[in-house]
Amino acid sequence: MDTFKGEHLLPGQLGQLFVILSFGAALFSTISYYFATTNKDPLDNSWKRMGRIGFYINTISVVGIGVCLFYIIYTHLFEYHYAWEHSSKSLPVYYIISSYWEGQEGSFWLWGFWQAVLGNILIWRAKSWEKPVMTVIGLSQILLSSMLIGIEIFGARIGSSPFILLREAIDLKSSAPIFAQRPDLYQNYLSYITDGNGLNPLLQNYWMVIHPPTLFLGFASMVVPFAYAIAGLWQKRYKDWVQPAISYSLFAVMVLGTGIIMGSFWAYESLNFDGFWAWDPVENAALIPWLTLIGAVHVLIVYKNTGHSYFTATFLVLISFVLVLYASFLTRSGILGDTSVHAFTDLGMFWHLVVDVAVFAAISITLLIIRWKELPITKKEEETYSREFWMFVGAVFMALSCLQLIVVTSIPVWNAIFKTNVAPPNNPVTLYNVFQAGFGVVVTLLMGFAQFMKYKKTETNRFFITTGVYFVCALLITVLIVYVTGIYHLRIVFSLIMLGAIFSVLSNGKVFADALKGKIKLAGSAVAHIGFGLILVGAVIAAGTRKVVSVNDTGEQYSAEFAKRNDPKENIMLVKNKPVKMGDYVVTYMGDSLSMPNHYFKVDYKLMGDDGKVKAEFLLKPNSQFNPKMGLVSSPDTKHYLLNDLYTHVTMAPLNSGMETDTAAHSEADDDKNYDAPIAHEVSVGDTIRYREGFIVLKGLDKTAHVENIPMTNKDIAVGAILEITTHGKTYTAEPIYMIKNGSVFDFSRKVEDAGLKLRFSKIDPQTAKETITVYQQPENKRPYIVMKAVRFPYINFFWSGTVIMVIGFLMSIFRRNKELKTV
Amino acid sequence: MKKSSIIGLLVIAIAIAIIIGFYGSSSTYGSFADAKANSGELHVIGFLDKQKELYYDATKDANYFSFYMKDKKGQECKVVFPGTKPQDFERSEQIVLVGEMRGDEFHASHIQMKCPSKYTQDKVEITEASAKKADL
Repeated sequence: MDTFKGEHLLPGQLGQLFVILSFGAALFSTISYYFATTNKDPLDNSWKRMGRIGFYINTISVVGIGVCLFYIIYTHLFEYHYAWEHSSKSLPVYYIISSYWEGQEGSFWLWGFWQAVLGNILIWRAKSWEKPVMTVIGLSQILLSSMLIGIEIFGARIGSSPFILLREAIDLKSSAPIFAQRPDLYQNYLSYITDGNGLNPLLQNYWMVIHPPTLFLGFASMVVPFAYAIAGLWQKRYKDWVQPAISYSLFAVMVLGTGIIMGSFWAYESLNFDGFWAWDPVENAALIPWLTLIGAVHVLIVYKNTGHSYFTATFLVLISFVLVLYASFLTRSGILGDTSVHAFTDLGMFWHLVVDVAVFAAISITLLIIRWKELPITKKEEETYSREFWMFVGAVFMALSCLQLIVVTSIPVWNAIFKTNVAPPNNPVTLYNVFQAGFGVVVTLLMGFAQFMKYKKTETNRFFITTGVYFVCALLITVLIVYVTGIYHLRIVFSLIMLGAIFSVLSNGKVFADALKGKIKLAGSAVAHIGFGLILVGAVIAAGTRKVVSVNDTGEQYSAEFAKRNDPKENIMLVKNKPVKMGDYVVTYMGDSLSMPNHYFKVDYKLMGDDGKVKAEFLLKPNSQFNPKMGLVSSPDTKHYLLNDLYTHVTMAPLNSGMETDTAAHSEADDDKNYDAPIAHEVSVGDTIRYREGFIVLKGLDKTAHVENIPMTNKDIAVGAILEITTHGKTYTAEPIYMIKNGSVFDFSRKVEDAGLKLRFSKIDPQTAKETITVYQQPENKRPYIVMKAVRFPYINFFWSGTVIMVIGFLMSIFRRNKELKTV
Repeated sequence: MKKSSIIGLLVIAIAIAIIIGFYGSSSTYGSFADAKANSGELHVIGFLDKQKELYYDATKDANYFSFYMKDKKGQECKVVFPGTKPQDFERSEQIVLVGEMRGDEFHASHIQMKCPSKYTQDKVEITEASAKKADL
């Protein structure tokens, strides 16, 4: 065994101990709960007690893993691969939390942590359901804990441990050959590992501190309704499980929905794909189970109120959790490969993840088949004019929209199974938009008119009149919106979904108004529906009518190659301090400010009125980070208005090379290469020199000029030319110096960086009393510049405020359902 | 007919429509030779030829970027992309292009790069090691 200097092995060993303990405890707890469930003797609580103890030990171990990992990252123990790969010394403490979920192991831990918390809540609250429900939760906890084990069994590595050492994870001898030759250096390898890889700059955002925990709480909480559904089938308590399942499902969709939108907000605020939703497989993977569980909540309520749709409710609850696991398979197995930019890479857990999905799918299917004959499926048809029938139809449509998402997102999976070579659609965004909008039209219309129906039977005349009135109102409003925002330019389906969304907002508004008069507690669903409608309104307008403002219409910059094409040109170049007209704005790249590691570009926006006066002015600071290991990473900056957002991001900046030119190691001759050929002007005091971007006035001569560190004798002469440069409405001064010292002539040039000028006072002619000023102009491509893109997102605030309203609606519903839970 | 059968039929019809829509819109991975033979967009996977020139000059045209790529069969082709040069393009290990052939140039409407370095970087930097070697 080699011994290595400077390693801290204790935290890792302790952490690994907790990893094994959490797995063992989960296994013990699940087995105990299983026997507690099947035990016929109602007085024998010993199995249940053991199950609880096992789960408590699991919870403590999971917390222990988190503490060890935090200690390792916090104290920069780079002998651990996880710390080396995902953090660095310069990382602020609050981003240490983000580095937890940059890696797969940390995000599995997070999931396991939330599941442990939920398990403890269930032990406390579930009463008669505790034994079967905790058996299922325990099983899920076994599988999650096993993901972190990282030990080889029968030649295959099970899971991936966050406590693996750097020298175990990476063959240091092959990546640094010197270690292979010199064992003495290898033993001391740690002294060469001075810093970690650091956190991906895109994750260094405060939304990234709270978005993953929310999302994973959402994923984790989906196991609870699943566990209730399984327990219901297992214990043949077909009716009782529905009520608690509704509460927990509402909680899960609320949290998962919030997590998804937080991710969307993060993408909008700090990624540069110009939007809030890109139908990336990773996004779809989170959306799919959300949609099925939303469908499930509705049919669960149908079943509770009417006894219909039992099978659909159970099926949707079961499939939602299986789809959560499938989503984790998609994003973590590396199978998405070429189709997604932000899926994890494979950690060798492909089959482990497949087993995870297969186990829970198999349990669900087996139980459904065994209990099939006993299921309380009604033979009687629902009434056509009943709320339950249309809620059922809505749930079916949600499931179908999921099917479309699954079929297209899983293309790499089909390729792997059927050995085909199908590429993803050329234009996936349009495909998803059109399909999902189509389903959205049906779902939103149902969301609207089902509100005017009653459970069991509705009086038809009254129903048609109310629905008609609200529909006509919605139609009028929609026509107005479609006309004003220009949605009619898009495919008709987007106008239709707008109609559906407005209709559902109006009819749920009526329900809400009625609820205000009576029981406010019942308004939860109406509020959530209004929120969802507004989300759609905001999404359709913002995504459909977003407009690139930075249209490059300068004409002369089109190359011959591009003149043939009429592609919209969406990026404009801004040379420092040169104002450029962009739509209604005049924009100027003012300069940079550095706040390491971020490099902010100051872009001044002036909104010009028709009369040519400045109506408004503001500064945006999009930033880029030049990360030596990850390259240039840009984040946008956005001006938020009430009705629209103006979004700006830098697509190109000469940053990486630009940093070096600041070092003053260049000779004068080299420096001149950065300028156009110099032009010498013979002028007298008061004369004006014109140049490409402005003019220079020789204001006077400074006879007392001196240059630092050069002592002057009375024979020497030094004269400064006081120059005033006016360019683009700004004035600068500069004083190049002409000097005769010991009979030799020197001159000291002066640069005006902001104007891209270098000025020399190169000659004084005593006969004509004229001075020669030599002007060096920087060509545009040598001057600091940025290429940026600006996009206007109209009415995007509907999207965000809709989300908040929807979450409030969910909260109200949860409180209401919990009240029912206690009274029943 | 019973209502449940109507819904059943409707569901089946929509499911079929989804699958047809999927096959209608999906494309295939191909090579530059395939792109030449077929009109219409397709996906080409390949590698950046780092020996040849990457052309991007924001001062001339901020929306013109061209480079040379070798497809998986080894055929090389000039690629033109009407946009800014993607960040970190030189570091890409694999490129997926979506676009079509126009004459001898492949016009890409979309570029996806694979830079494994961004997410997994299992190479230890040894710059420090060589610098310190002297004083040992």
